[in-house]
Amino acid sequence: MEFISPEGLRLDGRRPHEMRQLHAEVGVVAKADGSALFEMGNTKVIAAVYGPHEVQIHSQQLHDQALVRCEYSMAAFSTGERRRRGKSDRRAMELSLVIRQTLEAAILTHLMPRSQIDIFVQVLQADGGTRAACINAASMALADAGIPMRDLVVSCAAGYLNSTPLLDLNYIEDSGGGPDLTVGIFPKLDKVSLLQMDSKLSTDLFEKVLTLAMEGSKAIAEYMRQMLLENTQKLAFARGTLKR
Amino acid sequence: MEVEAFKRLYPLPFYERYLDSSVRPDGRPLGRARPTSVSLGAVSTADGSAIVKIGNTTMLAGVKLEVMVPSQETPDQGSITVDFQMPPICSPLVRPGRPVEAASVISEQLSNVLTSSELVNLSELCIAPGKAAWMAYLDVYCLDADGSLLDTALLASVAALAHLQLPAVSVSEEGRVYPVSSTTSGDVSMEGAETSIKVKGNSISPRRRLKLGAAPFALTCMVHKKHLLADPCAEEETLLQSSITITMNQMGRLVSFYKPGGAVPATTAIVKECISLARRRAREVQQILKEALEDHIESPSLMQTD
Repeated sequence: MEFISPEGLRLDGRRPHEMRQLHAEVGVVAKADGSALFEMGNTKVIAAVYGPHEVQIHSQQLHDQALVRCEYSMAAFSTGERRRRGKSDRRAMELSLVIRQTLEAAILTHLMPRSQIDIFVQVLQADGGTRAACINAASMALADAGIPMRDLVVSCAAGYLNSTPLLDLNYIEDSGGGPDLTVGIFPKLDKVSLLQMDSKLSTDLFEKVLTLAMEGSKAIAEYMRQMLLENTQKLAFARGTLKR
Repeated sequence: MEVEAFKRLYPLPFYERYLDSSVRPDGRPLGRARPTSVSLGAVSTADGSAIVKIGNTTMLAGVKLEVMVPSQETPDQGSITVDFQMPPICSPLVRPGRPVEAASVISEQLSNVLTSSELVNLSELCIAPGKAAWMAYLDVYCLDADGSLLDTALLASVAALAHLQLPAVSVSEEGRVYPVSSTTSGDVSMEGAETSIKVKGNSISPRRRLKLGAAPFALTCMVHKKHLLADPCAEEETLLQSSITITMNQMGRLVSFYKPGGAVPATTAIVKECISLARRRAREVQQILKEALEDHIESPSLMQTD
C-alpha cells in the first residue's frame, strides 16, 4: 500500500516531517488535583492526577519516597470497532506500566515520602499515537496538580514507511507494518526517559527515526509549555496577583 | 470562628445557615439547577456521541452500531445495550480495581429509564425483518463526578441517541448487510425519509437519524428536614443523604420516581413540589437539547463524515 504519494504527501495530506494538529487544555476535571485534555489529530486523551495523598494499601507505603500509580483505559467507542475491554486487558496493563515508569522518572518522589500519587489516563478517541498522547496529557496534568518534577515529559512517535521516516503516525500508518518508535524525553535536560520500538529497523535508520521523534517531542514541549504558561497567567489574573 | 474551620467542623449547621436564607453556598436559589451545556459529536469514532456538563459533572456518551441477526420472538426489532462506567479519573473516591457502588446503581437506573420511556422504538433499528437489525451499544463514561450523576448521564444518553445517524446500508437477499458510501446510496439529504430503493436485487436504506419518542429528563432533589434542594453537587449529596430522583418526559408524564430510603421521609407536599421542580427542569433541558441539535445540524461540515 502506498503511504506516501508521488508528490510526497501522506494519506492525510501531511508531509513526512509534519505533526498532526495539537490541542491541549488544563483543568478539565474539576474534582481532580490536576487534569489535562490532550489531542494529537484525532487522538483524544484525558488525564487526571490525584495526590499526593495517603497511601491506600498501607503495606505498599515507601518510607523515603512517594508511590506512583497509573491506570490506563480506553473508552469502548474509542476505536473503529467497539471493544469492551476489561481491567485486566494485557495491552492496558502494559501501557499503564510504561506510563507510570516514564513519569516516575520525572517526579521528585523523594520530596513526598509515605504518600501516593495516582495518575489516571482515559482514551476517548484513538487514531494512533495513544501512548505518546497519554504521556503528554499525564505530564500536563501533573504540572497542573503542582507536583514537583525534574522536567516535563514529552512524547512523540515516529515510523518508517516507503523508505521515508514519518513523524506522528496515525492509525492507518501504524498498522502499515513498518517500525513504530515512541520516545519520551525531558526536553530541557535533553534526556530520554522512554524509548520503545517494535519491528525491524537497521541501526542507521534507527538513528534517523529516533532523531525525528526527538525533534517532534521538542516541538510538542514548546506547545505544552506555552499552554501551561497561559493557564497560570489566567489563574494569576483571576487571583489578582497579576494586573492586566 | 473562622468560616473554613466552621465548615469543616460543623458541615451541617454551616449548610443550614445558608438554607435558612433560601440560598446555597454557590449562590443558587434552592430550586435552581446548575448551568447545563450539551455538545454533540464529540467523538468521531462513535456513530453518535455527546458530552454533557451540569455544573462540574461531566458525562461522555457514545453509541456504536453493529449488525446482528434479530431474535426469533422479535424479528423486526433491533436492540440497545446501555453501559455506564465511572473511571477513576472522575472522583477521588473511585479506587482503581474496586468498582463503585454508585456506578452499578446508576447503570441499572439508566437502563430502566431508557427502556420504560420508550425513547427508541426498537423497530426503527430493523434493517431487514428476520435477517438483519442494528445492535446499538450505548456507553456512558463519567469524566467528573460532582453530584446529580443520573441526571447528567440520562441527558448525555438522550443527546447521543439524538445525534446518532444510522449509516446507509444495502441488504442482499440472503440477509448480508453492506455499507454504502454516500455517493452511491442516492440522495444523502433524505433525512428522516425511510424510502427504500431497489437496486440490483438489494434494498438500500439511506443514512438517517432515529425518530425518537418523547425524551425523558431527570432531576435529583435532596430532601432536608425543612428544605428541598434541586440538582445537588457532590458535597450536598454526601451531607444531606436523602434524595428523590424524578424522571419526566417532554409530554409532562412521569417516567420514573426513585426515593431509595434515606433518613428523611417524604410527605405528599414534598413529593408534589419535587414533581413541579422536575417538570420545570424538563422544559429547561429540552430547550437546551433542542438548541444543541439545531446548532449541530446547521453546521454541515460536521455532517459529511461518512
